[in-house]
Amino acid sequence: MTSLAVKSLWARKVRALTTTLAVVIGVAFVAGTYILTDTTFAAFDEIFEDSLAKTSVVIGARDEVEQESGEVPSFGAAVLHRVKRVQGVRAAAGIINTPGGFFDSRGKPIGSRFAPKLIGSNRPPALESITYIEGHKPRDASQASIDEGAAEEAGLELGDTIRLASVERAKSFRLVGIVRLGDASFGGASIAGLTLSEAQRITGKEGEFDQIWVAALDGVSGAELKRRVERVAPPGLLVETAEQNAERNSNQIRDNLGFLRIALLVFAFVALLVGAFLIFNTFSITVAQRVSEFGMLRTLGAGRGQILTSVVVEALLVGLIGALLGLACGFAIAKGLNALFVAVGIDLPTTSLVLKTRTVVVALAIGIGVTLVSSFVPALRSTRVPPIAALQALEVPRSRRRGIAYAALASLLSVAGLAMVLVGLFGGANSGAAAGLMGGGTVAVILGVSLFSPRLVRPLASLAGLPLQRLRGLTGRLARENTQRNPSRTAVTATALMIGLALVAFVTVFAAGIKGSIATAVDDSFQGELVLRNSNGFSPISPGAAAAAREAPGVEIVSTLRATQAKLLGGDGGKPRVSALDRDAGSVLTIDWTEGGPETLRNFADREVILDKSFADGNGFELGDRVRFLTQIGRRPSLRVVGEFEDKADLLGSAVVTHGVMARQFDQRDDLLDFVKLAPGASIDAVQARLTRVIDRDFPTAEVMNQEELKQSQEDQVNQLLGLIYALLALAILVSLFGIANTLALSIHERTREIGMLRAIGMSRRQVRTMVRYEAVITALIGAILGMVLGVVFAALIAQPLKDDGFTLSYPVVTLIMLLVFAAVAGVVAAIGPARRASRLDVLDALHYE
Amino acid sequence: MSSADGQVVRAAGVSRRYGEGEAAVDALVGISTEFERGRFTAIMGPSGSGKSTLLHILAGLDQPTSGTVVLDGEEITGLDDGELTKLRRDKLGFVFQFFNLLPVLTAEENLVLPLSIAGRKPDREWLEQLIRTVGLDDRRTHRPSELSGGQQQRVAIARAMVSKPAVVFADEPTGNLDSKASADVLRLLRQAVDEFGQTVIMVTHDPAGAAHADRLITLRDGGLVHDAVPGSTDEVIELMKQID
Ligand SMILES: Nc1ncnc2c1ncn2[C@@H]1O[C@H](COP(=O)(O)OP(=O)(O)OP(=O)(O)O)[C@@H](O)[C@H]1O
Ligand SMILES: [Mg+2]
Repeated sequence: MTSLAVKSLWARKVRALTTTLAVVIGVAFVAGTYILTDTTFAAFDEIFEDSLAKTSVVIGARDEVEQESGEVPSFGAAVLHRVKRVQGVRAAAGIINTPGGFFDSRGKPIGSRFAPKLIGSNRPPALESITYIEGHKPRDASQASIDEGAAEEAGLELGDTIRLASVERAKSFRLVGIVRLGDASFGGASIAGLTLSEAQRITGKEGEFDQIWVAALDGVSGAELKRRVERVAPPGLLVETAEQNAERNSNQIRDNLGFLRIALLVFAFVALLVGAFLIFNTFSITVAQRVSEFGMLRTLGAGRGQILTSVVVEALLVGLIGALLGLACGFAIAKGLNALFVAVGIDLPTTSLVLKTRTVVVALAIGIGVTLVSSFVPALRSTRVPPIAALQALEVPRSRRRGIAYAALASLLSVAGLAMVLVGLFGGANSGAAAGLMGGGTVAVILGVSLFSPRLVRPLASLAGLPLQRLRGLTGRLARENTQRNPSRTAVTATALMIGLALVAFVTVFAAGIKGSIATAVDDSFQGELVLRNSNGFSPISPGAAAAAREAPGVEIVSTLRATQAKLLGGDGGKPRVSALDRDAGSVLTIDWTEGGPETLRNFADREVILDKSFADGNGFELGDRVRFLTQIGRRPSLRVVGEFEDKADLLGSAVVTHGVMARQFDQRDDLLDFVKLAPGASIDAVQARLTRVIDRDFPTAEVMNQEELKQSQEDQVNQLLGLIYALLALAILVSLFGIANTLALSIHERTREIGMLRAIGMSRRQVRTMVRYEAVITALIGAILGMVLGVVFAALIAQPLKDDGFTLSYPVVTLIMLLVFAAVAGVVAAIGPARRASRLDVLDALHYE
Repeated sequence: MSSADGQVVRAAGVSRRYGEGEAAVDALVGISTEFERGRFTAIMGPSGSGKSTLLHILAGLDQPTSGTVVLDGEEITGLDDGELTKLRRDKLGFVFQFFNLLPVLTAEENLVLPLSIAGRKPDREWLEQLIRTVGLDDRRTHRPSELSGGQQQRVAIARAMVSKPAVVFADEPTGNLDSKASADVLRLLRQAVDEFGQTVIMVTHDPAGAAHADRLITLRDGGLVHDAVPGSTDEVIELMKQID
């Protein structure tokens, strides 16, 4: 029976290939995700370890509230000479390692948009971990070094000019060194080196260090030296061994980028789910086509178990081969995913690709598991073939009871799934559980709809086939009839496509909503004509930018917003965002006050705080209450609530404090946004142009945007994310197109004689091709219609709880219609192979075909 | 029409060889014969004698290894697929042993299928006449699965005639039917020849079927061994015994 499985697979090579391909793509996606993320983590680990190669102990400021931005506080330099005197210290040096911006002599940014550009300081030779592959270390305040990757990318050579920007005005340096650190590539990140004093000056950290690195004398262990250093370090500082520091950094990266792995796995799961549909369909069809073969085997004395075994072994083989191939393709997918990220500006560090045992195990388990599970029902069905089937071309028996059971199960799944989604949305569970509920619910709904969809095939095929029939007469008509012949087959094929398109429709509708909401929020809350912000959209900018803007003619008010994350003492451990506003912010921002008003802000005092209404309500704060935060540098300001606001644009976060408190207690000294209000009569364009010139020269990490540009840039970001999601869904859609091609090929195989007859009575090759193509188009359109309905309904549901946050759904009708057209075209593409084969059938052979 | 002498199909030195070298099979060896317009010809012979092969070659479904076939004044050996498709639309009708009808279309739709494929409008009067002749007036909207085998085959015959082809080819049209249904089908073919002047060439194993024909040609080992008026069913049976 095993050899029968092998032979039967071999006899149907093409079908086996497409089925295997479904497994391959899903598994490759999973494997690729693990390979890519493992590689990225390994690259970070290498970088962390390499940079501390000669360091035994690292001293840094205690980071009480880890920031999503990754910024860490600096500390006073005075402690260094005490550390130097500790017994067992070979060398100790304070270093600067602060994000900034790098530009070439024409002002063009170096490195990719979202990756960090770090300004570092020279380390003494006893601690230095970078090697100068060209030139030497910077010797005075006019010299700089840069890493080899960035130099190559920007085409920089020794003697060239580079501009570095941070808190102080941007300055030109002469490139005197090109450096390398270990073997890992930084991706889009880059490091520039300056003398220590110049690095401190340009980052605004004169008399401060980001870290102190300590090298131990021979025979003194890192742990021992750490204990000795701890004795002289003030309590605000954290002393770690180099290993501890590297491990903490490594864990932090894993925490921060963990979502990436999960997000990619979700898309991989979608591709696998679609693949499962394809496998289920292929096995169902082949079992149906082999009914008389099974019947014959039964008459020869084969038991049910043997029949089952032969089908299961076939599935096992497909799964195993698919998983192995998928694993191999995982490397290509890892590269592809990385390229995709690079394309949207997320250029992560890389090193040689990492394949962990876990990846192999997961890939094999998933490949084989998915195949076995999805071929299980068809395999069971094969055992119900009675011996008599050998004599008659019997359909596999399917009782009416089963039909009712299916319908009941379909309704149950859909309703339960919908309920899960709703509970996930409104039930107030924590975000992990809510995501789980919504994910599980979505899958249940998809399964429910797919079970129910055979009943929808007739009407939907008629709907989708109508224009074709009108336009193309007989071929359209026959195509439609063919899709309706075996509704469950068409349904499974269509629902596989439905899954991908539902997600596309969902994100499309949702993204349209986000874009619309952003535009509304900008219109509603920004009164200022111009805004200054970091060109990457999220990092802070130098306060110098605001100061420069204040000087510019035509500018009346520049009001700044700073932000940081803090912990609410007695809170749930979350890290609410705290902002600081100027007292004149009322003239550049429209704040929707629920308690207090513009005068609250005008009279805003350092011991006061204004809360976001939902934050206040959620934590039971009322006017006059005291709110205590733990800040990043470990301060615990206690602030009195003097006002509440509603913040649909989520511009201000959970709480607003004065700039004084923000600087002293929260240690945030850089601006997130500067709002610029022009003097009456000033021309926006003229002021913007003037301001841009100044900013580009002195604070090039910032950019000056008018309201339209701000909206546009937010929209661009949404679009970019949307593009990324489309690209990730493309694989799932690709699998479902294989599904269409496969089903079509199998159906045509069944109808070989019929096609021979049609040809004999005068149907041309072209007509046969058209007929097959339309069949695919109709199937694809059924999937698209189901998917769009599902996607739009889900988007509408999920938009409900977001209504309060100012999220309004808008339906991008044109995009949705384009999606339909896309589905139709995809159907045509999927039909290319089967249509060609059908049209090339030799009439005589086809007529003789058994 | 084109051939003044009333011949509608002419085969000249038609041979068909399957395979090559040692294993080659000569299914037809130098067959030359003509078929007159408006006549009903039956082709008989033992199994494997080349009947189907001959029919396929006459109908342009297969190409001879050597020799030529002229159909309605046009040489069909060596036509490309497009020309053959046009030929099938204009000049040929087919009736097969089984799997004649599209299960997704109604009886009437199946009947006019060749016209629909060619994008032509049926001649209403001719259509009604056909439907009446095949006796399926009350079955127009039935699907093939709702028709008996004999009814299905009658639809197939009507379909073969709907475009008024030069020749209707039938390969064992009664092979799958009981004697009552067979008789109906044969009577219908006869009627087509007599009433509508249709040319019919039919391969059959059924002596009673052959007896309906105007002419019976008999094949053995790929060669033509007998060509005459069939006579009665018993005479045909006797003839077949001799040939075997
Ligand atoms: N595709 C083919 N390849 C090889 N040999 C073939 C092929 N088709 C037919 N033959 C051979 O050609 C010969 C004639 O076959 P054909 O089908 O014409 O016989 P037939 O008279 O129609 O027989 P039957 O009464 O059984 O239908 C047979 O020996 C057959 O084996
Ligand atoms: Mg035959």
